[in-house]
Amino acid sequence: MDNTVIDAHNISKIYNKDNIPVYAVNNVHLHVEKGEFTALVGPSGSGKTTLLNLIGGLDLPDEGNITINGKDITQMSPSELIDFRLKNIGFVFQSFNLIPVLTAKENVEFIMQLQGIELKKREQRIYALFEQIGLSDKLDSRPSQLSGGQQQRVAVARALASKPKFILADEPTANLDTQSANNLLDIMYKLNQEEHMTFLFSTHDQRVIDRAKRVITLVDGRIVSDTAKQNLPA
Amino acid sequence: MMILIMAWRNIWRNKSRSMVIILSVALGLFAGIMVQALYKGMMRDRIKSLIYTEVGHIQIHEKEFKKDFEPSLYLQHLPSLIQQIKRIPQVKAFATRSIAQGMLASTTGSSGIQMNGINPEQENVVSSLKNKLIAGSSFQSQKKNQLLIGKKLAKKMKLDVGNKIVLTCSDQEGNMVSSAFKIAGIFQSTNSMWDERNVFILQSNLNDMLGIPGESHEIVLLLHQDELATPTQQILQKQFKNLAIETWKELSPETDLMVSAVDITSYIIMGIILFALAFGIINTMLMAILERTREIGMMMALGMNKVKLFFLVLLETTFLTIGGVPIGYSSAWLLNTYLHKSGLNWKSMGEEMMRSFGFSSTIYPEFPTDKIAGTITFVLITAFISCLYPAIKALQLQPVEALRK
Repeated sequence: MDNTVIDAHNISKIYNKDNIPVYAVNNVHLHVEKGEFTALVGPSGSGKTTLLNLIGGLDLPDEGNITINGKDITQMSPSELIDFRLKNIGFVFQSFNLIPVLTAKENVEFIMQLQGIELKKREQRIYALFEQIGLSDKLDSRPSQLSGGQQQRVAVARALASKPKFILADEPTANLDTQSANNLLDIMYKLNQEEHMTFLFSTHDQRVIDRAKRVITLVDGRIVSDTAKQNLPA
Repeated sequence: MMILIMAWRNIWRNKSRSMVIILSVALGLFAGIMVQALYKGMMRDRIKSLIYTEVGHIQIHEKEFKKDFEPSLYLQHLPSLIQQIKRIPQVKAFATRSIAQGMLASTTGSSGIQMNGINPEQENVVSSLKNKLIAGSSFQSQKKNQLLIGKKLAKKMKLDVGNKIVLTCSDQEGNMVSSAFKIAGIFQSTNSMWDERNVFILQSNLNDMLGIPGESHEIVLLLHQDELATPTQQILQKQFKNLAIETWKELSPETDLMVSAVDITSYIIMGIILFALAFGIINTMLMAILERTREIGMMMALGMNKVKLFFLVLLETTFLTIGGVPIGYSSAWLLNTYLHKSGLNWKSMGEEMMRSFGFSSTIYPEFPTDKIAGTITFVLITAFISCLYPAIKALQLQPVEALRK
């Protein structure tokens, strides 16, 4: 059985700066299988976020192709991509993750409504997800009433709400204190261990790197190392 | 449903900005409704004045009579005609009149006029002429050759109650006949042109001048309701094929045209007000979109498609726009209710000018209940048009670029 979730071949993203082509991502090959807990690391400007955007179908590569769960997303129309993202990919952004006018519960429910999931199933899943992230008592809180860590946990719940094939997280712990970051990582790690949810992070954060099962290092848009770790802390 | 909640809450993210737009819509709507109410009140009074003072609901003549006002073209078989009219249930009252075109002469000059020979008892039921007297009195049975004259004509001819004048016209043989009359009363309607053109004398006096004793040129009908004019005309036309039967709309086509024109004008004014408001709404929505660029980018990244995003912008614009509707309506209704009773006096704005067009100088606005649906449609169209540009801007956002902002 093919466990491949992400398969990127020779992908490059080129920006023209003052008519000089700059490679944000340069001829990258990436293969991610189900259940991986992978961190993309590298200095600022190394192309981590650009690579995540390409894999997430938020941007299109100038060269190469990306296959998600057997489907080439580089051949999809913009509207097909929106629908594909909705059904297959969960996102956790660095900041500004939640819709401020909706409560925590509504933020999660919003995605499920976009997917057309019926009310009863939505309710069941929302309560289960909030149980998992430990925020059952914050269902009706607005994002402004939650701490940064709590907001990111709600964002994880929202990413999981659509039952995606994998979750892309762009520096999810960047704005969090140690305790909040550890809580968030615990939740994501547990989801990975128990539900085999695939995570792909971009991060600078050593705490995330320490927890990752695989660490891919990017420099100037190229993968310079790809290390799988064996003995991980619990 | 969630989009509905989001749209509603989004408009309250910047309360003062949203309130400015909502109040602008309310003010625009208030102004639009008041203009419509004033127009409606003016037209209602004009039609009432036309029907109850000037022409009645329906007039019956011999077909060729109004071409040259030939005195010999009086209504044939008048008694049986009256008997048949009495049997029509829609008819509330009727009056017979004799009509002649002629000249009024006094020591100060002369003026072309229409002589209306009336039967005061019948006339008092079908017309409010008696109530329009501002000097003197109505016809008195013991006096001969009395005349009622309009204020405009009296002023023009420098005449007053008690003065004598001479009326001249052609009789049915074509001979010029004259008779002296004494002014018994001066009337003033809301139509100064009509006041200047018409004089009233007893029908028997005019018939004597014309040499047509006991005859009438015109039957004026007053119906139970204004709306019965056209159906009753159709009934009468079937019965009296050889007679000219005209409703007030045909007798005064300019008034009918004015009613239609005023209807269109009030919609145009409403359109102009809302068109101006649309720019304020567009500006507000554009600012709201630009402030939320990252949020919109995030929603698009998560899988919100363009149709739903457009719908969100449309809903927000609609909420902003229709938010002002109840405020605008209720304030217009309150002011209208007050003015409907007290009246809006425009005397200082030119009473003569108003009267020359057939309007009273005191307007009693009437709330345009029949135009509510039309007005709300206008408001919704404004909301839709106003949302287009901000929505296009939102739809043009690329998630990656929006998330970077």
